[in-house]
Amino acid sequence: MSESPREREGLLHTTDVVVAAVIFAICGTLYYVTTTFDKVSNLLAQNIPPEFFPQLIIYTIVIFTLGVPFEHLLHKRRGDNIDSERSERIKRMPYVTAGLIIALVVGIPYLGMLLTMFGVCVLLPLLWGERRLKLIIPFAILFPLAVAYLFNKILLVYFEPGIFGIAL
Amino acid sequence: MEPVIEGLSLILLNPFNIMLIFGSVLIGVTVGALPGLSSPMAIALLLPFTITLDPVPAIGMMAALYCGGTFGGSITAILINAPGAPPAVATALDGYPMAKRGEAGRALGIATFSSVTGGIFSLIVFIVAAPALADVALKFRPPEYFALAVFALSMLASISGKSSLRNLIAGAFGVLLGTVGIHLTTGVERFTFGYPELTEGIAFVPVLIGLFAMGELLNQSQTLTEHYDRIRAHVTKLPGRDDLRLIWKTVLRSSGLGTFIGILPAEGSTVAAIMGYNEAKRWSKNKEQFGTGCPEGIAGPEAANNAATGGAMVPTLALGIPGSASTALILVALVMHGFRPGPFLVQQTPEFIYAIFGAMLLANIMFLGIGLAGAKLFSQVTLIPRTILWPAVVVFSMIGAYASASDILDVWIMLIAGIVGFIMKRHGFGLAPLVMGLILGSLVEESFSQSMIMYDNNFLGLFESPIVVGFFVLTFFSLFGPFMGPIVKRAFSRPDPGTEGS
Repeated sequence: MSESPREREGLLHTTDVVVAAVIFAICGTLYYVTTTFDKVSNLLAQNIPPEFFPQLIIYTIVIFTLGVPFEHLLHKRRGDNIDSERSERIKRMPYVTAGLIIALVVGIPYLGMLLTMFGVCVLLPLLWGERRLKLIIPFAILFPLAVAYLFNKILLVYFEPGIFGIAL
Repeated sequence: MEPVIEGLSLILLNPFNIMLIFGSVLIGVTVGALPGLSSPMAIALLLPFTITLDPVPAIGMMAALYCGGTFGGSITAILINAPGAPPAVATALDGYPMAKRGEAGRALGIATFSSVTGGIFSLIVFIVAAPALADVALKFRPPEYFALAVFALSMLASISGKSSLRNLIAGAFGVLLGTVGIHLTTGVERFTFGYPELTEGIAFVPVLIGLFAMGELLNQSQTLTEHYDRIRAHVTKLPGRDDLRLIWKTVLRSSGLGTFIGILPAEGSTVAAIMGYNEAKRWSKNKEQFGTGCPEGIAGPEAANNAATGGAMVPTLALGIPGSASTALILVALVMHGFRPGPFLVQQTPEFIYAIFGAMLLANIMFLGIGLAGAKLFSQVTLIPRTILWPAVVVFSMIGAYASASDILDVWIMLIAGIVGFIMKRHGFGLAPLVMGLILGSLVEESFSQSMIMYDNNFLGLFESPIVVGFFVLTFFSLFGPFMGPIVKRAFSRPDPGTEGS
């Protein structure tokens, strides 16, 4: 009987090596950004230049991250499974859902806030397999109107009307 | 006595405020009862609504929602074995088996009674301890605040979640995120990437909504077809004399324990509930009945997790250090309303503290009624189709993020935070530590810079203060305690004579 890849993990945990690499890359980029901060005289900075604290935190993150690929050994000794939350591949739905929401947010300046809310209330239930139109239609009309009324008329939040100029 | 009367009357003699608190408790219990929706998420979504309110009802609403949300999880934990909120995880262990054998009403009654007792116990401690702690904190200078904040961040290691290391990394990223914007001492822009909107720093509300609501939405989109088997609860009964005799010691012990855990920076209701369950089992004469529907197994975690709510308010208000993810959000709300949480808040506006106390007390009394009369109804909230519920959360998230500054950039920040939160959670990085880091970040940097200026850039100068040394010792134990335990145990355990030399 062959072992699963998880059981074969040795000293380094493959997925966590990737996780650590991503964190190192983020830290590297952010560290570079700190070197581009405007320079100020020590007198003004009182010997604590603006990049000092962020760099200190980046060093701390890097030091902690060094332990991530080996952490599974500690969990194994405790009888925990570090992979319990990620043992299954991410299904297609979170990607599609995120994509749809991003598309709707891109559309806010054109559609306006009210139409975007309407879009969320129609498209997301349909995407998730809801086919009861008796449920979707009243929800998609009444809920955005209620939210828009509350925020726009009572809390006086300005709502983007979009190119169609649709607002309450 | 005058601030007490003034503070309590702000809540108890104002019908509008009472109505708002009742509404918040209802929302809290509903959200708590719905698996996937959590108190921090609800508080984050409530934040934009409260901007236009006066501070007392605004903060009172959030505190009431926090109490209601913590309790609400127990309803679905007992009736459908799906804890609506993480603090109710331990309640399901004995609550569901009791409900399954036809005693759902009894289980709900024990949970309600224990929750209310734990909540009120912690509020009494809160109202006594917050001013006392504020008195001590008045003596704190920047070095002491720096050491305290470092200690609070180190406590992130033990916050709920699997990995201490990943919690610390998340917390450190939160602190880093807190440095976005203009550096106070020099006026230099940091990590603004040319966006003028970022010069004042990352707006908390979009990040919080994104992490707690949008991240969870992406997670939930994978499990839309899950359904739960529901057990019917006909009548919820308060515990009778026999049950009271059995649970009163557990309730008191767990109330004390939960309050203490709540007071510890960064520890929250979930940790309190798990410890409450473990301690109830350790002290019980009926250990073997745990897991089969034992009343003490419901009373222990329920008293502890609700006691943690009042406890968590102590460091939040008296020190400005949040005691849990939910109180971190309340802290943000306080700042949004122009308060600076800490000893001066307690000293200069004590009536405000008593008003929050009044709101939480009222919330506890309200959910006693809700728990007894409406548990059956609240268990029905799980019937709301998730294909309708979650789009509503998306709408609230988008509008909530947008409303604080009427800026689309905030909606983007919310979305990015949601996607990052989803990925972080999947790989074991806690969201609460990130939020705590974000909130404590400015305090850490400010107090560190001031301390360095005080000691002429000599880091060792910090150790002149015994309080600083005390906090650093605590930090050391909080970081390395879990690793030291087994080593100390091994060093002090006697070798077994039978195996010696083998």
